[in-house]
Amino acid sequence: MLDAKTRYKLIPYAFLGIPVTIYLIWIIGPMLYSFYLSFTKWDGLTSPEFIGAKNYRMLFQDEVFYISLSNNLEWIILFMTVPIVLGLTLAMVLNKDIPGAKTFKASFFLPMVLSLVVCGLVWSWLYSPHSGLINEVLRRIGLGKLATGWLSNPKVVMESVIAVAIWRQVGYVMVLYLAGLQSVDQNLLDASEVDGANAVQRFFNVIMPQLAPVTVIVIVISIIDSLRAFDLVSVMTRGGPYNQSSVLANFMYIEAFNNYRMGYGAAIAVIIFIISLMFIMFYLTRIAREETNA
Amino acid sequence: MPRQTTIPPAVKMILYLFLVAVTLIWLVPIFIAVITSMRTNADIMSHGFLAMPKTVDLKSYIEAWQRGGLHKYLPNSFIITMPSLVLTLLLSSLGAYALARFKFKGRTFFYFLFVGGTMLPFQILLLPVFKLSDALGIYDTYLSLIAIHTAFQLGFCTFVLRNYMMTVPIQVMESARIDGCTELGIWGKIMLPLTLPAFAAIATLEFTWIFNDYIWPLVLIRTAEKMPVTTGLATLQGQYVQDWTVIISGALLATVPTLIVFIFLQRYFIAGLTLGSSK
Amino acid sequence: MKNKIVVSVLAVLFVLGMAPLFAGGQQEGAAEGGQAADQDVVVYNSYWADPEPKRVEAELMEMFREQNPDAKVIHSTVAHEDFKQAIRAYLTSSAPPDVLTWFAGNRARFFIDKGLIMDISDVWEEAGWNENYAKGFRAMSSVDDKQYFLPGSWYWWAIYYDTRVFDEYNIEIPETWDELMAVCEKLKSNGVTPFTVGTKYRWTAAAWFDYLNMRVNGPEFHINLMLGKESYDDPRVLKVFNEYWGPMIDKGYFVESPASYAWAEAIPFMTNGDAAMYLMGDFIRDSYPEEDLQYLDFFRFPIIDPNVPVGEDAPTDGYFIPKKSQNPEMAKKLLKFFGSKEVQEYVAKELGRLVTNNKVDTSVYNENQMKGREIINKADYVAQFYDRDTTPEMADKGMNGFMEFWQNTDQAEEITDKLEKARQQLFEE
Repeated sequence: MLDAKTRYKLIPYAFLGIPVTIYLIWIIGPMLYSFYLSFTKWDGLTSPEFIGAKNYRMLFQDEVFYISLSNNLEWIILFMTVPIVLGLTLAMVLNKDIPGAKTFKASFFLPMVLSLVVCGLVWSWLYSPHSGLINEVLRRIGLGKLATGWLSNPKVVMESVIAVAIWRQVGYVMVLYLAGLQSVDQNLLDASEVDGANAVQRFFNVIMPQLAPVTVIVIVISIIDSLRAFDLVSVMTRGGPYNQSSVLANFMYIEAFNNYRMGYGAAIAVIIFIISLMFIMFYLTRIAREETNA
Repeated sequence: MPRQTTIPPAVKMILYLFLVAVTLIWLVPIFIAVITSMRTNADIMSHGFLAMPKTVDLKSYIEAWQRGGLHKYLPNSFIITMPSLVLTLLLSSLGAYALARFKFKGRTFFYFLFVGGTMLPFQILLLPVFKLSDALGIYDTYLSLIAIHTAFQLGFCTFVLRNYMMTVPIQVMESARIDGCTELGIWGKIMLPLTLPAFAAIATLEFTWIFNDYIWPLVLIRTAEKMPVTTGLATLQGQYVQDWTVIISGALLATVPTLIVFIFLQRYFIAGLTLGSSK
Repeated sequence: MKNKIVVSVLAVLFVLGMAPLFAGGQQEGAAEGGQAADQDVVVYNSYWADPEPKRVEAELMEMFREQNPDAKVIHSTVAHEDFKQAIRAYLTSSAPPDVLTWFAGNRARFFIDKGLIMDISDVWEEAGWNENYAKGFRAMSSVDDKQYFLPGSWYWWAIYYDTRVFDEYNIEIPETWDELMAVCEKLKSNGVTPFTVGTKYRWTAAAWFDYLNMRVNGPEFHINLMLGKESYDDPRVLKVFNEYWGPMIDKGYFVESPASYAWAEAIPFMTNGDAAMYLMGDFIRDSYPEEDLQYLDFFRFPIIDPNVPVGEDAPTDGYFIPKKSQNPEMAKKLLKFFGSKEVQEYVAKELGRLVTNNKVDTSVYNENQMKGREIINKADYVAQFYDRDTTPEMADKGMNGFMEFWQNTDQAEEITDKLEKARQQLFEE
């Protein structure tokens, strides 16, 4: 039998045994299979046919790919910045002892509880050019010129969809920051106040740095969700009109499941993965650095 | 604490009202959803979306429940979500414990593996996992969904739990070991209780994610009887006709469980995050 | 201790949650519990998710159960769009449903050619369908003279219009293109938008392409284009875009921002008098408000070139049996049931659809159905609609092209070039 020391060494592996096995079978395995698929032509029914890098070549010549890419980029930028700014502001405001603070907090978080399908449906109506609330209001206050088909006008469609995602996300970010604010060191804050720092300086030099862990989590989650964004686009526009609101996840789904070009879809998914990987690496290196410093 | 700057009460009042206004506007979409659910489809067709309801009619809720099939779909959602939730939390806490507590070869690699999984675009798994489920003979069973949800959420949960567990001082565990506790014992009697706030926090998130998932049941479930509420609701959308009131009512009904979870676990959620970020 | 309680609650939930897993393996049917597992099970998945057809199907299932008390039918309805994806999973699994609904045309052909569909020539023979079904229907169900598909119901497309508007402005039914343009001008000058349309899901735009192309260039060219044998940048295609479709859009003959509306959401424009006509299939009746139905009538899409054969869109839905069906005997029984005279008559009466079995007494058809039937009978060619006649990939690119054109009517050349590139890639792959 193994001696105590070796047995002790094996313990972590024992703990990891079941989760890792399940993970390998259901996640890693299929993922690798998809990497393989991206080099094939497959309609989902007959056997895949190896075609080398042809899918990728076609992809890089596909204008929809570039449209999706830039849409995803736009999504990431807006989805990161706006909720952070709004969420943090709300958290700062609601962190004080004002009447009904709890109700306010719950109100902003509520959209997060709704499923994306519901959000997409409701907002599709709000955006309706003829009878939707937004255009109605614009016309009533004399800004009728701005009234447009929010989901059919190629110039604003992507922003209109992202707005819904943001509407949903702000409350969530707010809650994260509220929690983060609880752990801001009050002593440090008071000390800086005594030192003569004004509100703005206190905010940027004392509060923000202490909120850094929260900010990092928020950024990571924002990027994950941006790249995965599918439900809203699917429900509201299906990537239309003519692909102007297409995002990579949606593009992949349509190619793989509507057009039965599984190999092609797999290639798109691989690209999504590689992009995600870049952000993960960035995050991980930061963590690694922190851990070696600690 | 003395404040250097004071805001005049009048300005405070205005700012407060502004806050109220912003909040109300924020909630407008939800108000509209609720109002619409109480109208009839014909009403919407003839008077458009925004008119005040001519008839207040809760029939659509009943219809969503019966004809819409929610009486089947909602329980299914639970049958799928609860085991997935419990399994993934349990299994990821095992893995997280190993990654947080021990220094061993492959530690970073496994951590990497799980973190990577969070970012995975799940579309890439759809067909391979379908084929896998079919080969294992669990296609069109709850088990196939539970399996993929458990596996898929392992990444995120292990990632968060491991970070959380690392905030627990090693001395606590060392002293337990010296006292003769096995590692499994330490995991169960010491680490798990300490991790409960994090569990509560992730559980809320995970519950919502798994409950609201739409794509997996589409691929892995064939019998309507077994569909969860997300996919089930979609069957209300016919090829040509969309009975909006029933769809919205059904969607709102489907939201109730996640709403309840949020209301009750809110405390844990916030507390958990607090514990996670402080030292 | 609180923690102990929480942990035990979790444990209980866990166990409770696991229990149904073992129940999940069985197949629940609509039948009561306590049925033995040795019942003759037949699984039927359909995409008739609309409220009316869904109801009728449930009734049909009851009828079947009465006629076959030893059979256990498990009937699932899947949303139309989702069904199109799910069928892939069905056909490749080792235990597919026994009977599936599906579209005739290229879509069915696609699966038949891959050997995934069961040969049901014997059913056609036994049920006498070789005699009872029109040649056209038999042709559409056969590959290499073997039958694989059972056509069930079909409906026609036409220009639907509001009789009140036409009466008010003394408009006569247009039969030629010039007459139609005159009608549009007249309506426009009276403040009525000639056509309403909701193109959010794109296929309504494809309808316009289908009809314009068939009227201008003839159905043979159109079908060859669908099959990938003609080019999208052919001057004949450009003609459709630049001389007919584009001008209509530019002159404001369609409602604004059609891409914001699902097809049914564009109906209110007609019922409240803002618009007068809608190029649509007969199922428009299912969504039309009750009180306005009496003012809804239709006419055939006007002839553009009298020298060109007349093509119409009349999509046909039907059924087939996956090759790997676990219970082919029962499946074939169910198919015979669907194709029988009595079931077809029932469907015709209840849903107002046109059915395929000739033996059906035409007296079950109302005035509208007879009128629609006549339009199709007069046609030289019956097409299945753009996204059923061509491959799914091409349909996707094509419809996007139509949407882009609708927004940019001066871009016909660039758009058709793009489509042609796609066609070459997709059909030569």
